[in-house]
Amino acid sequence: MIELDQVTKTYDGKNVVDSVTLSVDKGDFCVLIGPSGSGKSTTLKMINRLIPLSGGTIRIEGQDIASVRAEELRRRIGYAIQSIGLFPHWTVEQNIAVVPRLLKWSPKRVRERVESLLALFHLEPGQFRDKYPHQLSGGQAQRVGVARALAADPEVLLMDEPFGALDPITRDSLQEEMRRVHEETGKTIVFVTHDMDEALKLASRIAIMDEGRLVQVGSPREILNSPANDFVLDFVGQSDLGLKMLACESVETRLEPAASISRSAPIENIRSQFGQADHVWLLSPEGQVEGLLTEAPGGQDDLDRSLRPLGQESHATPEMSLKEALSHMVWRKTGWLPVVDGDGRLTGEVGLSKVMERP
Amino acid sequence: MIGSRSLSASLPRTGALPWLAALFVALTLFMGQSAPLFEWLLPGLDNPVYDRHSFPDLVLDHVVLVAASSLISVFIGVSAGIFATRSVGQEFKPVISAVSAIGQTFPPAAVLAVVAPLAGFGFKPALVALALYGLLPIVQNTMAGLETVPSATLEAARGMGLSKREILTRVELPLAMRVITAGIRVSVIVNIGTATIASTVGARSLGTPIISGLVSQNVAYVLQGAILVALLAIVTDLFFERLERFFSVDRN
Amino acid sequence: MKPNRVIVTLLVLALAATLLLPFANLAENRLVSGTPYRFWSALTTGQLVAALALTVSLTGMAVSWYKRPVLNGNATLVCCLCLLLLVIYAAGDFATRSLEDAGPAARVSLSSAFWAQIFCLSLMMIDVLQRMTRSIFMQVFFALFAFAAVMLLFFSGALDQLSIMREYANRQEAFAGALVQHMMLVISALGPALVIGVPLGLLALRRLRLRSGLFSTLNVFQTVPSIALFGLLVAPLSALGEAVPLFRDLGIRGIGSTPAIIALVLYALLPIARNTYAGFAQVPTAAIEAAQGMGMTPQQILWRIEVPLALPVLLSGLRIVVVQSIGLAVVAALIGAGGLGTFVFNGLGQYAIDLVLLGAIPTIILAVLADCLLQLLVSLSRRKGVT
Repeated sequence: MIELDQVTKTYDGKNVVDSVTLSVDKGDFCVLIGPSGSGKSTTLKMINRLIPLSGGTIRIEGQDIASVRAEELRRRIGYAIQSIGLFPHWTVEQNIAVVPRLLKWSPKRVRERVESLLALFHLEPGQFRDKYPHQLSGGQAQRVGVARALAADPEVLLMDEPFGALDPITRDSLQEEMRRVHEETGKTIVFVTHDMDEALKLASRIAIMDEGRLVQVGSPREILNSPANDFVLDFVGQSDLGLKMLACESVETRLEPAASISRSAPIENIRSQFGQADHVWLLSPEGQVEGLLTEAPGGQDDLDRSLRPLGQESHATPEMSLKEALSHMVWRKTGWLPVVDGDGRLTGEVGLSKVMERP
Repeated sequence: MIGSRSLSASLPRTGALPWLAALFVALTLFMGQSAPLFEWLLPGLDNPVYDRHSFPDLVLDHVVLVAASSLISVFIGVSAGIFATRSVGQEFKPVISAVSAIGQTFPPAAVLAVVAPLAGFGFKPALVALALYGLLPIVQNTMAGLETVPSATLEAARGMGLSKREILTRVELPLAMRVITAGIRVSVIVNIGTATIASTVGARSLGTPIISGLVSQNVAYVLQGAILVALLAIVTDLFFERLERFFSVDRN
Repeated sequence: MKPNRVIVTLLVLALAATLLLPFANLAENRLVSGTPYRFWSALTTGQLVAALALTVSLTGMAVSWYKRPVLNGNATLVCCLCLLLLVIYAAGDFATRSLEDAGPAARVSLSSAFWAQIFCLSLMMIDVLQRMTRSIFMQVFFALFAFAAVMLLFFSGALDQLSIMREYANRQEAFAGALVQHMMLVISALGPALVIGVPLGLLALRRLRLRSGLFSTLNVFQTVPSIALFGLLVAPLSALGEAVPLFRDLGIRGIGSTPAIIALVLYALLPIARNTYAGFAQVPTAAIEAAQGMGMTPQQILWRIEVPLALPVLLSGLRIVVVQSIGLAVVAALIGAGGLGTFVFNGLGQYAIDLVLLGAIPTIILAVLADCLLQLLVSLSRRKGVT
């Protein structure tokens, strides 16, 4: 989809981007990461020709970007930046509609597009369409900024540290939304950041840069499992490497079958479960997980005393990262978490010893 | 605030101040002896140098008129600005700021011409007119300057137990000083200009040779007055620029 | 009961002036000083009763202001405007009555109490307007309405016997000519000022190193007193006019409109260049980067993003320049450029105050009107989203 071939940028005789060769496949979420001054932003801006190349070529779908008029190229590529750059004199709708209007879409089509984009980012169209940028919170403004970048349905989306200026909570929820939007739209995204957690959370491929050079390219797991050199190891962060690895794996990969029984079952049946398992999940009559039994209850009266309650807030889902599941286990001081589906039904369990196993 | 000169406040031009001031003093003292120069420049004039009054006298008259009126303006203007920003005067603030904004759209020459005859002709009415007109930018900038003091600073000052008077004199006024000075600068420069026209209402100033030259079609008189008053204004402006920089909080 | 202290103070001031100062002056001719008349002896009983009634209701509303601020506000505006028109009408009526059996040279001129009343009433209206609405549109609308009402009174003929109106009647044609010439001076300076000033501002934006030098040079023009700048232009221009007859035929001479317009242009350069610079400099760089990134052409970025965002600042520069030029054009009369300043300086020369006022009051009105209208334009150009 996007091919960088020996791309070089020279300022004052110094190569700030030094013969970078990288190819991004269609549908990839490629994160360019590196310390400040590593050339990642410059590389990104060369893709839409905001910065001219000093050497090498960039092709998008096989076409050399130098062969297209810069404005035309940019209208085909979405672009979102950290400072957002919404136009203060235009409403949210006008801001999102910029590129579709430049491309002379019909007013009806533009309107529909704005509406669906606002909905995609959970911004109620009726409420937000006519607001001006200064009436938006930081998170809302950046949602509009990304919606604007997606407005003309570009195949490629370039994002330059888009969430860098947001507070941690807003950043977290926007990252979630970005992941969802990527899954729903299947866009090819090139994303610049200096935050490794963000990269691990979003990327399907990570490209690490240092001093203008590409140091390592790979999936998050490849980068974590086999860092190419000390720089990468250092950049990834040795002290919490394990947690980062857990962060990019989901509970689903370590799901085990779980023994369970309803509270309304006769006490003998409950006791007999312990013949096959050393722990059993107790379900409410409605089928919701109530907690964990780790030893056979003496009798009906003993049931609540031997129950370790694990309410909804400590249920895991298959999509949850192992890091989060582990955190719940530590917090609840339990070796197992129930894994439930969307309706709250038990689908299995995840245990501490399984988390520790090599994949 | 009136920022009409605030951009230039950051410019490194103060180096010229001593030289221009020296030039101004020299020209004031020797303008009376400049007959050969003006004869050469503008041949055929009966009288190449204005001689009804000596130039040092005219400069003194001009400076006294501007200084006296500016002192009155500063005293009343700063007081009014402080009054309008205290809780007692809060109610008067909108009207005071509206008047100082609308008043400044009045042409200074028109104000001079209207006020002066009401009080007769001569020095005093010119003084009144200049002081009145010069008030406006000072009031405006005093209010603006006092309002730019961050409320956190005021709260901290209150929290440390400073009295209202101490807060005003030790915190607010020092912080507002640069903006107030900018207002005084505008006021003084406008007054130097208006004082030049004040010769038409009978107050002697550097405008006297200019007007007399225009009436008698003697370009030399016009030039002699114009050069001196232009230099006076430029030197004063540079002086205030320095003063503003001195009062700016970061002192850079 | 919490009073509106501003209105109460102004009422006290106006009353003091009414009691202590003369309202109008009746003189046999221009040269003698004449007899001063107090307010109560100049007005008819009916007019006095009306004035008293309006003053009492004003006082009542001011004292109990915060009980019904909106109602009191509206009623005070109406009362003030009525009282203003009444005072002006009464002055004209006094002139008509007292000149019926006086000689042809006799004249009635307005005195200090009249001006004090007008001043205090205007301030009251400003106070109420400021309290009632933040909207510049409403404020300007009311100001224009009040102005139109006063103008109507002028053209009704009720004031024709006042000395200033007689002065006007004597010079109707000259007045119209001077007014047109005054506006011509201002307008002819605007074009060149924009053509030179805007590019200078843009230059300062592109070449940061030039900026400080440029602005301090332009500041020198602003600093030099107007009459001095006129004077400094007189000498070189008269030399040029004498040396090149063609220029002389084109009107380039030491005196007249040419040096006046050149000086007005020089004065206008700083506000225009500075506001052009400031207007474009405050356009967020992120907005421009985003616009480039989305594929807008430089032309589109200029006209759709930069100009709309810079326009309010540019127009406030224009506002400063227009108001300033109207004032400076008064002084231009001293170098023979004509305009309303001619009356001012002729009047000062002859000690004829009415003639001075005939020049000065219209220039003040012109400046305030221009300011109002341009302020309106600035607000209109300020897009809703930009605070």
